[in-house]
Amino acid sequence: MKYEKLSSLIDGVASDFLFLDEKTIDLPTAGKLINQVEAIISEATAQETEQLRRMAYCLNILLEKVIMDDIDQEVGCSALEKGITTMQEIVNSFSNTGSYKGNIEDFVGHIAGLTGTATEKEEIQDGESVTGEDPSEETVREEEKFEISDESLLRDFIAEGLEYMGEIEVNVLNLEQSPEDKDYINAVFRPFHSIKGVASFLNLSDISKLAHDLENLLDRARSDDLPVTSALIDVILSGSDILKEMIGSLKEVLDGVRTQPATPDISVLKNQINAIDQQGDSAGKVEKLGAILVGDGVITEDTLEDALKTAKEPPSKKLGETLVDEGKATSGQVSQALRKQAHQVVDASTIRVDVRKLGDMVDMVGELVITQAMIRQSPVIQTSVDKKLIEDMSQLSGIISELQKISTGLRMVPIKQTFQRMSRLIRDLSKSTGKKIVAEMAGEDTEIDRNMTEEIYNPLVHMVRNSVDHGIETPEERIRIGKPERGVVRLSACHRGGKIVIEISDDGRGLNKEIILKKAVDKGLVEGSEDLSEHEIYKLLFLPGFSTAEKITDISGRGVGMDVVKQAVEKLRGKIDVSSVEGKGSIFTARFPLTMAIIDGMIVRVGCEKYIIPTISVRQLMRPLREAYNNVAGRGEMLNVMGESMPLVRLHKIFQTDSEHENPWDAVVVVVEAGKRSKCILVDEVMGKEEVVIKSLGERMKNIKGISGSAILGSGSVGLILDPDSLFELSEM
Amino acid sequence: MDIDLNMKILVIDDFSTMRKVIKNLLKQVGYSDISEAQDGTSALQILKSRNIDFIISDWNMPNMNGLELLKAVRGDSEISSIPFLMVTAEALKDNIVLAVKEGVSNYIVKPFTAEVLNEKIEGIIAKQ
Repeated sequence: MKYEKLSSLIDGVASDFLFLDEKTIDLPTAGKLINQVEAIISEATAQETEQLRRMAYCLNILLEKVIMDDIDQEVGCSALEKGITTMQEIVNSFSNTGSYKGNIEDFVGHIAGLTGTATEKEEIQDGESVTGEDPSEETVREEEKFEISDESLLRDFIAEGLEYMGEIEVNVLNLEQSPEDKDYINAVFRPFHSIKGVASFLNLSDISKLAHDLENLLDRARSDDLPVTSALIDVILSGSDILKEMIGSLKEVLDGVRTQPATPDISVLKNQINAIDQQGDSAGKVEKLGAILVGDGVITEDTLEDALKTAKEPPSKKLGETLVDEGKATSGQVSQALRKQAHQVVDASTIRVDVRKLGDMVDMVGELVITQAMIRQSPVIQTSVDKKLIEDMSQLSGIISELQKISTGLRMVPIKQTFQRMSRLIRDLSKSTGKKIVAEMAGEDTEIDRNMTEEIYNPLVHMVRNSVDHGIETPEERIRIGKPERGVVRLSACHRGGKIVIEISDDGRGLNKEIILKKAVDKGLVEGSEDLSEHEIYKLLFLPGFSTAEKITDISGRGVGMDVVKQAVEKLRGKIDVSSVEGKGSIFTARFPLTMAIIDGMIVRVGCEKYIIPTISVRQLMRPLREAYNNVAGRGEMLNVMGESMPLVRLHKIFQTDSEHENPWDAVVVVVEAGKRSKCILVDEVMGKEEVVIKSLGERMKNIKGISGSAILGSGSVGLILDPDSLFELSEM
Repeated sequence: MDIDLNMKILVIDDFSTMRKVIKNLLKQVGYSDISEAQDGTSALQILKSRNIDFIISDWNMPNMNGLELLKAVRGDSEISSIPFLMVTAEALKDNIVLAVKEGVSNYIVKPFTAEVLNEKIEGIIAKQ
């Protein structure tokens, strides 16, 4: 009784259908029927009764159309009736004779005509995006004057809406870190969706439309129709800001502060949204499924042609399904090809790379540089007179140098993201301090090493907080002194002289030299009698123990002093400076090396060994006079430098290597600073200043005192990079 | 069939302002016994502990969305036959067919007026 199950399933549908009162199908019934029809499709496939399967498939589509109200009820009903009756005929024939000789093509054609050919999403068509109705195409309700229909409802919407909007930022930051995480996409999607929903009820069409556009982008992102790029994140953040503004302005209307809600200019945003929307659509580079399968050798061109023809016939199927049904490809092969296709849909201008892979590549390039240097040092190469060899080596050298530049460049990211976090901070601080402050940005496309972005965040935050707390005056004070009510904090970045220069400036009070000086004197940081230049006075700010904060505000946390900022900046081998015009404002300038992988160093020679002293720690170079030297009992060798007595450090002793000169007055002394201490490092020769690429010494040697790494010098030789802090410790042991 | 204006209606949506909007519309039609729930879990609790005659639920909610709630209701013999009206933002075919297959009574697309809401409710009651 092979067809017993099929038979009873079909009878079930038939009887349910007959029980319908009128020739109309309500939703619950349609649901029941469609479930049953699906069961028929399954069973028919299992029993390999192709005709029944196709019939049931037609009825499936028919019912879907009925549910969606895309088809006239009467027409749909009569087609259903015919289909069900035919199915009964077919299954009876199979039960009796094992086959059905009738023709179903007429019916199938009829259904195709009624319903149109179904297009499925699996084969990515150009410009196909699944969205529902576009509210912007609905009849626009012209609001001449904004009327408040239900005040309490509106207030609720504003309060709750703003709450929802607040959640967006956090989740967007999460999403940025894990762009693949669907939960985060959903978490960002939902607030826009909810706000759009209520806004549409309250006739807030501007809010509703904007929320819809943003929601749409996110919806596409969560169905993998659009990649989560930083451009998308930017748009979402900007959009949510504007939305917040619009909702907030509603409150102002209710409070009587304004008469009309704000209509901020969203033309720029709209353009950005459209740009992203279209970028997702350009599936230009995506291969069709069939092409992939042929390319992989799963099917031949001819098979593909045939299958495409079959697939197009109603009830139209997906190409993949057709191939599997006809046994031309396994479902495994098809799903693999589909996966391949999905991977091709990426934002063509950027690609995502695993950070580890990037790191591996950069490391390898580093190895390449070193190996090349070693080859160059080989005596065979050095004494060679083979012209071609010399030429080739030179070319190799150039290529590797270029490769190194490119690979370091790969790690660079625009500082924009960091600046954006700053400007958010400024906005929040502005609100919590009650001061009116606007954030400006310049040079946000300036690139910095991605490893640095986290590290510089904290010092920048400190500087910004200082500007907000101590720099910018309250709105009342600003008006009183004739400044615009809103203060400006400006973040700018640029590349200059091989460094990245970041400036944080404000148009606030500026620095008061007298107060600073007095404070410093009070704290015993300077002698009252010292005559200091303006610049030197400002530098006092950075001394530990200084802090002009009278009270520890909760904004500034622990009453952060600029010394913390200086330390953080110097940890990154940067330098910080401040300049100011009292009453007009201040500028904090931080200069960082372009990448953490490069250090600016003074190359020194001790015997045959070369060492690199970070330029930032070098105070001065000198050849001391014999008279300056002192060997003090109990304190060791000392040198008098400009009236200051400093310990002498003999590198050759510390590192147990040879030295050309014994006496300081025959050699060169580098005065090195580490923290508050300064010492004189004795070297045989100062070879020059160079920017070198740092090679770390590896895990086992990480904790060696005195050394922070090694570098390949331009000459090809290797030098050890000195770490002044631990070197000083070593010298005291 | 007479519409019973004393019908106990449960409105479910995580956005409280939306619940208020629907509640107001229901009141306009004339219903007065309206309960609220902010998520599927509390909705199910209410449904099992009180007599609810009609469910109106949003589709898009965190943790348990409207479809999941529908499945839970239809799967529980105590409450499976309570009429269920799904509120959706777009008439997305895939979603609606899914809901219909799970036994939704009908769906309504935001934004809607009190009239449309009434029509849908009456339509469902009439078929019972």
